[in-house]
Amino acid sequence: MLAIDVNRLRKQFKVQKNREGLKGAVLDLFKREHTLVTAVKDISFQIPQGEICGYIGENGAGKSTTIKMLTGILVPTSGQIHVNGFVPHKDRERFVKEIGVVFGQRSQLWWDIGVIESFRLLRKVYRVDETDFKRRLDELIETLDLGDLLNRPVRKLSLGQRMRCELVAALLHQPSILFLDEPTIGLDIIVKTQIRDFLKKINREHGTTILLTTHDLQDIDALCSRVIMLDDGHIIYDGGLNELKDRWSKGREIVFQFTDAVSLDRVNSLTAGLDVRWTKENEMAAKVWIPREMNVSDVLARVVSSAEISDIKILETNTDEIVREIYRTGSPEAGEGIRG
Amino acid sequence: MTKILFSLSLFREYIANYIKTKLTYRADFWVEVASDLLFSAMNLIFIFVVFQHTPSLGDWSEAEVVFVYGYFMIPYGLFSTFSNLWNFSERYIVKGEMDRILTRPAGSLTQVMLENVDPPSLIGSLVGLGIMATAWWRLGLSFDWYDPFVLIVLALGSTLVYLGIYTAIAALSFYSDAPTGITPLIYNIQNYGRYPIQIYNKTIRFLLTWLLPFAFVGVYPASFFLEEHRDPLMAWLTPAVGLVVGAIGLGVWTHGVKRYRGAGS
Repeated sequence: MLAIDVNRLRKQFKVQKNREGLKGAVLDLFKREHTLVTAVKDISFQIPQGEICGYIGENGAGKSTTIKMLTGILVPTSGQIHVNGFVPHKDRERFVKEIGVVFGQRSQLWWDIGVIESFRLLRKVYRVDETDFKRRLDELIETLDLGDLLNRPVRKLSLGQRMRCELVAALLHQPSILFLDEPTIGLDIIVKTQIRDFLKKINREHGTTILLTTHDLQDIDALCSRVIMLDDGHIIYDGGLNELKDRWSKGREIVFQFTDAVSLDRVNSLTAGLDVRWTKENEMAAKVWIPREMNVSDVLARVVSSAEISDIKILETNTDEIVREIYRTGSPEAGEGIRG
Repeated sequence: MTKILFSLSLFREYIANYIKTKLTYRADFWVEVASDLLFSAMNLIFIFVVFQHTPSLGDWSEAEVVFVYGYFMIPYGLFSTFSNLWNFSERYIVKGEMDRILTRPAGSLTQVMLENVDPPSLIGSLVGLGIMATAWWRLGLSFDWYDPFVLIVLALGSTLVYLGIYTAIAALSFYSDAPTGITPLIYNIQNYGRYPIQIYNKTIRFLLTWLLPFAFVGVYPASFFLEEHRDPLMAWLTPAVGLVVGAIGLGVWTHGVKRYRGAGS
C-alpha cells in the first residue's frame, strides 16, 4: 500500500504587493494589488510504506509548502493527495492521529511546563492508552537518552535536547508516517548522528514511513534510499540516491604530492593517451580528474611508476557537490552537459 | 457528544497545566486579578459620578444601571476565561503557531481557546454576581426560586454572543494579510452594551441589538429580573441570539482555517 500518493498537486498563494513610498502606502489602502505566486507546480509522486524519503531543494523551492499540504495544514489549490488513505485537509482530526510531525524551527511542546507534562498532555490529546503510553515513553526515553531532562521546562533545554524531545512528542502515538521538516537544523554532529540512528531504528523496528526535508545532505546519505529533488516548484529528480550519484557524479580526483617540482607538461606526459585532466595545485602538487568510467588504478599505476610520489589523496565527488551543481544549473540535464 | 466530553477532558488537563505554570509565577496571577478588578471598579465609579450630577439617566436609576453592569460582568468574566484571543493574529498567524494546532487531533478553535485559558477572569464574574446581588437588595426586587436558573441560562447565552463575535473577529486574520485594527473598534462598541441602551439614539440601539448584539450581554437579559424595565421577550431572545451569533463565529472560523497559509519557513 502507498503511504503517500500525490497527483498533480499545486499550491498558489496570493501575495500582496506593497507599493513604494508614502504615496504607494496610501494607494494600497484603497486598492490592493496582488500577485499570484505558484509555490508548488503540479507535482506527482508516490511513497510506499516503510520507505525513508529525502525531500530536498533550495530555500523557497516549495518543500515546506508540500509538507504542509501533506500534513493537512494547508489546503491545496488543485490536485489530489492521499496520505494513509486520507485526504489530509478534509478529514484532518482523524488523519493527524496517524501521523507525526516535527518542524525543526517550531516547537511542538509547551514552553513553560516540564517536558513530561507536555508528553502527558499530548497523550490526552491523542487519546493514547495509559499503558501503551508508558511503554512507548520508556522505550523512547531510553533510545534518545532523555532521562534527566524530563522534569525541566522546555524553555530551559538546549536546541539538541529540545529536538530529541520533539521527536518523542511526535512519536508517542505511534504514527505510521513521520514528517520531518529540517530536523537536524542547527544541531551539533553528535546529536545529528544520534537522531539519524534513532530514525533508522524506528523505521526498521516499526516500519514507520519517513519523509524528511533537509539542507544537510549527510542526513540524506545516512538515511534515505530515495531522494526527491525540488526546484522552483517542480520535481527535477526522483529516484535512488545511488543513481543520483552515479548519473551526476562528475568523476573522481586524485591529488599527487611529488617529491620534486613538477610542471603541467610533465604530468600530462605521464598519462598520455588517457582521457584525464590535470591541474596544478602548487609547485610540488598536481590534481588529476578521472572520468567515472575509468579505473583509478590505471592512472595511479602510470604516475607512480615514473615519478617520485610522497603522498596521494583520492577525492570522491560527494552528494554535496552534485547537488550544488544541480541547484546552480537548475536541472540535472544541464548538469550532464557540464560533465561532457 | 463524545466530542464534547473529549473537549471537557482536555479542558481539565489544560487547566491543570495552567495552574502548574502559574504557581511558579504567583505574583503574576494576583497582579492580573487586581488589574481586572481595578478596571471594573473604575467603570463603577464612572457610573456613580454620573449619577451625582443627575438623579436618573433616561428613566433609569443608579441602582438599575449598576444592576445591569453587575450582570454584564458575569458573562464577560466567563468569556474572558475561555476566549483570550486578543493576540491570536500575532501569535498564531504571524508566528505560524497555527501549524502546530492543525497537526493535532482536536478541534482547532478548542485548542486555541484552551491554550489561552485565563481562570483569573472568573473572579470578575464573582464580583459581578456580588454587585448584582447588592443592587438587587437596594432595588428591593422580588426573588423567585427559578431566578438562579434563568440567570445561568441567560448568562450562558450572553457569553455565547461574546464568544461568537470575538471568534469571528479573530478568524478575520485568516483572510487578511496584516492584523487589522478592528478589534479595538469592536471593543469600544462593546462598552456601550454595558449600559441601558434605551439612553442611546435609535441608530446605536439598532446596531447594538441586531448588528453587533452587545445589548444581549447587558440590558436585555438583566431586564428580566427588574420590575420597571422588565422586557421578558428580549430577555428570552438572549439564548437564541447567543446560539445564532456563536454559530456564525464558528462558521467564520471553520471557513477561515481553510484559508490559513502559514508563516513561511
